Amino acid sequence: MFKSLDQLSDEEIVRMVQSGGLESFGILVKRYQEKMLRYGRKFLFNNNDIEDLVQEVFIKAYTNIQSFDASRKFSAWLYRIAHNQFINAIKKKKEPLPFFDLDVLWPYSVSKENADKETNQRELSQMLEKCLDKLSPKYRESLVLYYFEELTYKEIADVLHIPMATVGIRLKRGKKIMKSLFQKYEFNK
Amino acid sequence: MNSISDKIFNKIKKEQIKMRPKIYFILKAVLIALTTLLVAFFVLFLVSFIFFNLRASGAWFLPRFGLPVIGIFFKSLPWLLILITIILIGVLEILVKRFSFAYRRPILYSILFIIIFTFLGSFAMSRTHLHPDFFWKAQERKLPMMGRFYRDFGMPKLGDVYYGIVFDMMDSGFHLETPKGEILTVVATSTIPSRLGSPIIKKDDRVIVLGKRKNETIQAFGVRKVDKQFEIFQRRPHNPIPRMK
Repeated sequence: MFKSLDQLSDEEIVRMVQSGGLESFGILVKRYQEKMLRYGRKFLFNNNDIEDLVQEVFIKAYTNIQSFDASRKFSAWLYRIAHNQFINAIKKKKEPLPFFDLDVLWPYSVSKENADKETNQRELSQMLEKCLDKLSPKYRESLVLYYFEELTYKEIADVLHIPMATVGIRLKRGKKIMKSLFQKYEFNK
Repeated sequence: MNSISDKIFNKIKKEQIKMRPKIYFILKAVLIALTTLLVAFFVLFLVSFIFFNLRASGAWFLPRFGLPVIGIFFKSLPWLLILITIILIGVLEILVKRFSFAYRRPILYSILFIIIFTFLGSFAMSRTHLHPDFFWKAQERKLPMMGRFYRDFGMPKLGDVYYGIVFDMMDSGFHLETPKGEILTVVATSTIPSRLGSPIIKKDDRVIVLGKRKNETIQAFGVRKVDKQFEIFQRRPHNPIPRMK
């Protein structure tokens, strides 16, 4: 029994690319280009070069594909490349980014993942659509990865290279800031 | 919408973008691992050297004189080496943070781990004869690479602090042999006559003396015995005093 290319997992396709099946890389691009574009648009809302940036993400992924350990998750690896690419784009636009984040210094207790994800999903998505651009990049990115890209805490920690507890703290604070922004928005409407 | 995949596929076909070979990443990973190990080893070496430096200069034993000499103790610390160590610990933290076991935890944990590792490792290293042996080789100009480092930092002279072994006793004090082989006469000042010449200090004791030196004589205003083990004497080549074993 042979699987068709579409039935193969990302990691199986990566193994094919690594061993010379270069054209298989196109399947990965097709699978992820929408996600990367959405991630880019939500994270870099005021950037007009999202397509170019996403193209650059895939070029970097292809160039460095031999460094990928196929026993790990391809999506987290690709999101990590995208994160670096988008952060560089933010730096180029001279948006303020914190040099050092105190949240990564101290241990925090991690709030339970998915505790309110399902129940608040619709309400939060509505708020995110309206207020995302007003959040600072560090909260914006965590919220985008969790609520739009549906990554787990562990995956977000691997993408952003921060402790899992910090992911929880950023989501909690980000939601709090967003709720107060949303209330102001509704009040002014 | 397939424009991105088409563009990339065209670039791959035209070889405008090329895959880096696996060996490139293997070498990079090896280089990072080696650099991390090298920096870790250098931090251990430096911290154990700071311990040696403090013992060789006598500063290590200064707190035994109590609060009045705490200022001298702080002044005698090798601040340049301490600063380099702090910078290297920062570099080590940056290197370690590349690995998932480190970045998934708060920085506080990895910093604490590095500090504990540094203190335990350098303590273990300071139990070896590495530094005393290098120090004496440097003195004999037999240490080509690090000789100058050991000569410059190895045994700094502290103002008013002298360290050595009681060579013989006198009525008003004793003769002190320093690690470098000098014989100094230690006499008591009128303020603490009872401390010198008392049964507490005897021949072959390792002592630290606080006092003013004039030529070969120290007018001591404080003497304390230090622990028996002191490697800088024991490892001195062509030791002229066999009784020190």
